[in-house]
Amino acid sequence: MSKSGVNTPEEKKGSVFSRQGSQKLIVLLVVIFLFIFFSIFSANFRKYTTVLSIIDYSYYIALMAIGVTFPLITGGVDLSIGTGLICYSLAGGYLIIHCGWPTWAGMLVSILFGVLIGTLNGVLVSVMSLPPFLATLCTCMITRGLGSICSKNFGISWPTSGAEGSWFRNIFKITIGDTKYPLGLLWVMLLVLLMAFVLNHTKIGRYTIAIGSNKEATILSGINVRFYHIMAYVISGFFAGLAAIAYSAVFSTVQPGTGAGFELEAIGGAIIGGVSASGGAGSVGGSLLGVFVICLLKTGLPYIGLQANWQQIITGMVLIGAVMVDILKKKRAQTA
Amino acid sequence: MGDIILTMKDIDKSFPGVHALDHVNFEVRKGEVHALMGENGAGKSTLMKVLTGIYTKDSGSIVYEGKEVEFHTTREAQDAGVVIVHQELNMLGHLTVAQNIFIGREFKKGIGIDDKKMNEEAAKLFEKLHIDIDPAETMSNLTVGKQQMCEIAKAISHEAKVIIFDEPSAALTEAEIEELFKIIRDLRKQQIGIVYISHRMDEIKVITDRVTVMRDGTYVGTLITKDCTKDDIINMMVGRVIYEDPKTQSSVPKNAPVVLKVENLNAGRMVQDVSFELHKGEILGFSGLMGAGRTETARAIFGADPKTSGNIYINGQKVEINSPQDAVKCGIGYLSEDRKRFGIVVQKSVAENSTMAALENFVSGLFINKKSENKIAQEYVESLATKTPSVDQLVVNLSGGNQQKVVIAKWLIRNCDILIFDEPTRGIDVGAKNEIYKLMNRLAEEGKSIIMISSEMTEILRMSDRIVVMCEGKKTGEIGIEEASQETIMNMATREI
Amino acid sequence: MEKIKQNPIVKKIGINRIVLCGVLILMYAIFCMLSDKFAGIQRIMSALNYAYFLGFLSLGVTFVIATGGIDFSIGPVMFCSALISGYCLTSYGVPLVVSLIISILVGMLFGVFNGYLVAYWTVPPFIISMASMNIAKGLASVFTKTQSVSWPQSADANGWYRNFIKIGNFPVGLVIFIVFAVICSIILNQTKAGRYILSLGSNKEAVRLSGVNVKKWEMLAYVICGTLVGIAAIFFVAAYTTVQPGYGDTYNNEAIAGCVMGGTSMAGGLASISGTVIGVFVIALLQEGILALGFSKDYQLIITGIIVIVAVYADVATRRRKN
Repeated sequence: MSKSGVNTPEEKKGSVFSRQGSQKLIVLLVVIFLFIFFSIFSANFRKYTTVLSIIDYSYYIALMAIGVTFPLITGGVDLSIGTGLICYSLAGGYLIIHCGWPTWAGMLVSILFGVLIGTLNGVLVSVMSLPPFLATLCTCMITRGLGSICSKNFGISWPTSGAEGSWFRNIFKITIGDTKYPLGLLWVMLLVLLMAFVLNHTKIGRYTIAIGSNKEATILSGINVRFYHIMAYVISGFFAGLAAIAYSAVFSTVQPGTGAGFELEAIGGAIIGGVSASGGAGSVGGSLLGVFVICLLKTGLPYIGLQANWQQIITGMVLIGAVMVDILKKKRAQTA
Repeated sequence: MGDIILTMKDIDKSFPGVHALDHVNFEVRKGEVHALMGENGAGKSTLMKVLTGIYTKDSGSIVYEGKEVEFHTTREAQDAGVVIVHQELNMLGHLTVAQNIFIGREFKKGIGIDDKKMNEEAAKLFEKLHIDIDPAETMSNLTVGKQQMCEIAKAISHEAKVIIFDEPSAALTEAEIEELFKIIRDLRKQQIGIVYISHRMDEIKVITDRVTVMRDGTYVGTLITKDCTKDDIINMMVGRVIYEDPKTQSSVPKNAPVVLKVENLNAGRMVQDVSFELHKGEILGFSGLMGAGRTETARAIFGADPKTSGNIYINGQKVEINSPQDAVKCGIGYLSEDRKRFGIVVQKSVAENSTMAALENFVSGLFINKKSENKIAQEYVESLATKTPSVDQLVVNLSGGNQQKVVIAKWLIRNCDILIFDEPTRGIDVGAKNEIYKLMNRLAEEGKSIIMISSEMTEILRMSDRIVVMCEGKKTGEIGIEEASQETIMNMATREI
Repeated sequence: MEKIKQNPIVKKIGINRIVLCGVLILMYAIFCMLSDKFAGIQRIMSALNYAYFLGFLSLGVTFVIATGGIDFSIGPVMFCSALISGYCLTSYGVPLVVSLIISILVGMLFGVFNGYLVAYWTVPPFIISMASMNIAKGLASVFTKTQSVSWPQSADANGWYRNFIKIGNFPVGLVIFIVFAVICSIILNQTKAGRYILSLGSNKEAVRLSGVNVKKWEMLAYVICGTLVGIAAIFFVAAYTTVQPGYGDTYNNEAIAGCVMGGTSMAGGLASISGTVIGVFVIALLQEGILALGFSKDYQLIITGIIVIVAVYADVATRRRKN
């Protein structure tokens, strides 16, 4: 801490690095380590196409993770994002394929659907004071049912590459010459920067942290806690909507009834990236790094001869491990 | 001292069953530090809560800056310039210092928050106060003392004209108190009216200009600090007529064996090197002011909170107590000051609560023998004269005194010989209080040993055979009931540091 | 209304359980009216098949919710139990009895895992649930190499286990289920374990300060839950024989719905086994009715979700009013 009242920018940066930064740095090292590890053990893993497919895989998880960071920081959780994503994608896709809507309109519907369910979650948690995991578990099931009903229980393929209205696929992967470039990574990065700004430099983010830190004190400070609490879930829903578009763009067919378990990948990523399971602390950038850990595990394991399903087991274990580390840290802080 | 900025006149406030404020008067002048003193429960905090809009007064008037006012929320009071620095901190640990200070009224820059400006403003504020805190530091990384300073800075940033400090020094180190006093003197120079609530007599003498003393919800009087002595103030604080006869001599025989011996107990800041002995059949009073560390001592003995060091002997045998389970096995029972949170399970019946600690005695085979459970619960309902329609009644439906009896029954059924009563009559009406007293005396006669923590002086003097006095985590005195008086105890409890 | 509430018989049974019974009968009547093929033993037997395994799940989760916790890994864990034990039976030739025991053990192990982390490590129950759900799915998929498992049919040599459900048209399963419900009710209301589980759900700190080893009892609730989930797996395969890896999470919500509808409070401390039993029958009948009316399973998901929200909100609102 500096002696004088005013700080120089360097010192401030230093203090950020020493705390929030350290976990991010560790996670970044884990990402690099995992990449090197898989590369050593599998020649195929080293190929550009593999890297491309890992990045493809990461979009929808990353987008969900950015969004779910907000309810997690308030001390809640949003379990509806996984099945929600499929539901929004099916709804948008159905309108494009079967009702002849233009692609942009279908995309808009996906996003709005996400915002709607997010608002519902927010109202259930904030106004009706239901436990967040229970409220969103219910909307998880509701969106799952709605998705199947929307699509009449058939899988839906958004316009495939080359077909009319398939321009949206180029948002995420663009072909220049003979090489494909993961353009989506740029958008994800920009969104991370944007949401990091929202989290750290706007009222929405500030009060999201405040609610997770000490809800009573936040109310006493005269803040409209109800509104900002709902907003956290709206953001989560909005990003689930964006994730729906990313999912539709990367995969050829969206199947109703799937999506359960996606939320674990996103929430797991966020918690690995330093979001506290008890609220208050977390960063959007950290969540993104955490997602890369999950994606590398998911795509990397088959290359070293393990079934893809090992990833589910390992993700679960890693999530519990990350929470245990968080608990230990807090215990140590209390006794110190 | 300048003109009067705030006058509270004839303030009256009742809660169900309690006349908390009985026509109290209080005034603050610009540029003075006005101490508000009184025992726990004298009504100081209630008065300040009426002032800052947390409670609504029943009658009386508040005149602030020449106008009659009534604040409905703390926000309104703040906006008018009346702010309170709370004893318990209302801070958001994950945010930075500056973010905490300006929460709810952030500076905006475009769509974002101007954190840079907030840091600058906070830095200016700290500079004005000569406090050395980095505004960009995360709140939870600061010491409690620094956090307190931030609360003060937050209060001042509201352009306050009257600042109320509610026991600000309770969590501060001596150096920090020095700093605090510097700030207060600065504020005084700026013609701000300051209300200073504290139990520390020496501080009162150093920092305040006038002292107003309250007792049992009434206004006793106001003194000029430099013209009065510590004894004057103590006399005003305790000078009530004592309705109940104090005990005049110990009822414990001289040769009664020591059942509990605590040696150099340490547990955090609130329990430092506490040693004492408890004899068979004795009621040992623990006196002291709020925050003296008595409850913490009891919880550490009982294993409810971890202790850092110290030995405990029961009947001469050294025992290891690391959890309430261990303590109960050693025959110690603890009756918490906060019954609803720590004493009873409100949604369960009288019988279920009574047998909570000794359930294994009522299990035959695999099942709980409800008949014998109800029978014993009924026995204790009768012997303790608990008023309940039946033992199946949910405890939530009983009055405070009867809930307390259920907790007593719980420990008696467990056959505990050492009972720690933490504020046994808090929130209990007068008639029931007497019953609890009689019960405690009876238990002592029957050979139980009792530690009684109490903030009520009359209770201490009426019940105890011997008195241990604590102050700020340390034992500051121990006297037999024969020599004890309100003044001697208060002197020990406000020991100069 | 107040008078009815004060009636001793009504008080004993509980007003919401009486209402729930009414709902059950009314639902049956409505389904019979809407679908002419609904009346008759066939539909009831089919609904009962659904009620058995769901009932065991619901009984189990009642214990966990009574502590103030939650477990929504139960559906996938049930599938994991059925898959692992079934795979042992069909691919490794493990005797049927041993397979059934394995099924229960797998469920129990998950209970131990969940309970230990919640009680001794204070990991939030919803995190554990989420993790266990995926671990269970992953484990089952890895173990079975992502193949579905078909348990023996009734006519097969090892088919006798299906008699747990019914012999002829006699619903053996109903008898077993009711017996288990009674045992659970006894555990919850008549034993030390149940007393402590309910009490700690209501006020954990007060129970701890009474010298009770709260961690042990909290963990036990999860272990009981896990064991019942293992038994649920047996009833699932006895009813449907085929299990597919990667599924099972839709049953979480239905089990929780049965539980909270029956008057068990999400805040903990208040649980009713008889309520859970009736709640389960309502859900099972609902499922059967929705299918009979030609709607898909998806409507059931939505309706169950809404039921849970309404039931829990009712509980939250009552508690708020009381304060």
